[in-house]
Amino acid sequence: MFLTRSEYDRGVNTFSPEGRLFQVEYAIEAIKLGSTVIGICTKEGVVLAAEKRITSPLMVPSTVEKIVEVDKHIGCATSGLMADARTLIERARVECQSHWFNYNEKMSIESCAQAVSTLAIQFGDSDSGGSAMSRPFGVAILFAGIDNGQPQLWHMDPSGTYIRYGAKAIGSGSEGAQQNLQDNFTTEMTIKDALNLSLTTLKQVMEEKLSSTNVEVMTMTPDGLYRMFTKAEVEEIITGLD
Amino acid sequence: MFQQMNIQQNFPEYNIPGKQHHDFSPYESNGGSIVAIAGKGYAIIAADTRLSSGYSIHTRKQKKTFKLTDTTVLGSTGCWCDTLSLTSLLAYRMQSYVHTHQKTMSTNAIAQLISVMMYNKRFFPYYVSNVLAGLDEEGNGVVYSYDPIGHCEKTTYRAGGTAGALLQPVLDNQIGYKNQNLAEKPEITKEKAISIATDTFISASERDIYTGDSVVICIITKDGIEEKTVQLRKD
Repeated sequence: MFLTRSEYDRGVNTFSPEGRLFQVEYAIEAIKLGSTVIGICTKEGVVLAAEKRITSPLMVPSTVEKIVEVDKHIGCATSGLMADARTLIERARVECQSHWFNYNEKMSIESCAQAVSTLAIQFGDSDSGGSAMSRPFGVAILFAGIDNGQPQLWHMDPSGTYIRYGAKAIGSGSEGAQQNLQDNFTTEMTIKDALNLSLTTLKQVMEEKLSSTNVEVMTMTPDGLYRMFTKAEVEEIITGLD
Repeated sequence: MFQQMNIQQNFPEYNIPGKQHHDFSPYESNGGSIVAIAGKGYAIIAADTRLSSGYSIHTRKQKKTFKLTDTTVLGSTGCWCDTLSLTSLLAYRMQSYVHTHQKTMSTNAIAQLISVMMYNKRFFPYYVSNVLAGLDEEGNGVVYSYDPIGHCEKTTYRAGGTAGALLQPVLDNQIGYKNQNLAEKPEITKEKAISIATDTFISASERDIYTGDSVVICIITKDGIEEKTVQLRKD
């Protein structure tokens, strides 16, 4: 895949002669091994839908948490190394609370993504300088939130780059899913349309058969804020799909 | 060794040799008063311009109102060096906020930030009396007042500083309609608020030696901040 791979892919603090940081690029590749997560932003709210990989019938599916609450007005879904994701989510939560404490207002989604990206790029070999990790985080995050009553969707990758999207897919099925989103996403969609589009897209790219046990769905709306769908509610949407 | 010798020489036992006591007092009251009134679509905040120390006057033209944003003004009196320290730290924190969050701070956010900054010095407080006036998200006036360790209270009118205790009851009566048997309690207009604020300062300068010279009134509306100066007693 990387034709110019050389000894420059060892250290995270050494650029290759072509000006690349291979470890960061590999971390982005690591996301493509993760489960698929889809986010769609509409005027009514944001939908996050995540595939859960149930690798064993003995596993308790509800313990795989792909979508979590960061603050009342921010939720996020992660793909990649789950353990790394925990650290980033913890930072997001702390930053949101700290913002509320200092300014008595809800943190904007962009500021939250920025705070997490600050942590995400604190990797390096040096033992001083407060670097938290020796390698980049192998996680991509979709932030869904409400900013001033407006729904927003943000994506952050292991390089710490954060960009706002209308609709975004991450994880193993992201290429196919992103194409499908590009073909079907409109800014005029209702939240119901977005729920259907997210699940039909997941259905297309997932290896397992889509069911209420191997998918998580969350909506973020100006009125209801963070709302996780129950198994029954997910079931209802799935049966409603064509 | 030393101690025992001293005790034998009948030194008072609390006088530990080697330790020198300085009469350092870190605080100073430089006087000054603030009045802030909030109403529908406006907020005004007024502060006198006398800066003094005991019976001496340092200057007769020290403004004590600080324009923080287009919709927020802070009035700060007390220990002037603490006011300067607090306001410059606040300016720094607000500029950082602009760079981090790509927006100017709301009056509400500034109010909370001041509270946190003041409480951070809980055990060596800023010796200041702060009153913050501004417009909220809807464009209506709000007033926040503080105690020296950062407790914040949201009100519609407040007097602070050396003549605070003198002015507050007047505002209670004139703005809050306290102890008046009125069938109607009409809303205070901007013009009425300015005139009451001016009158209270004229009265305060009669009784409080730390308040006088002139009063600067900041009138905050959605169109910006207008400033008016009225002369007061200079003795």
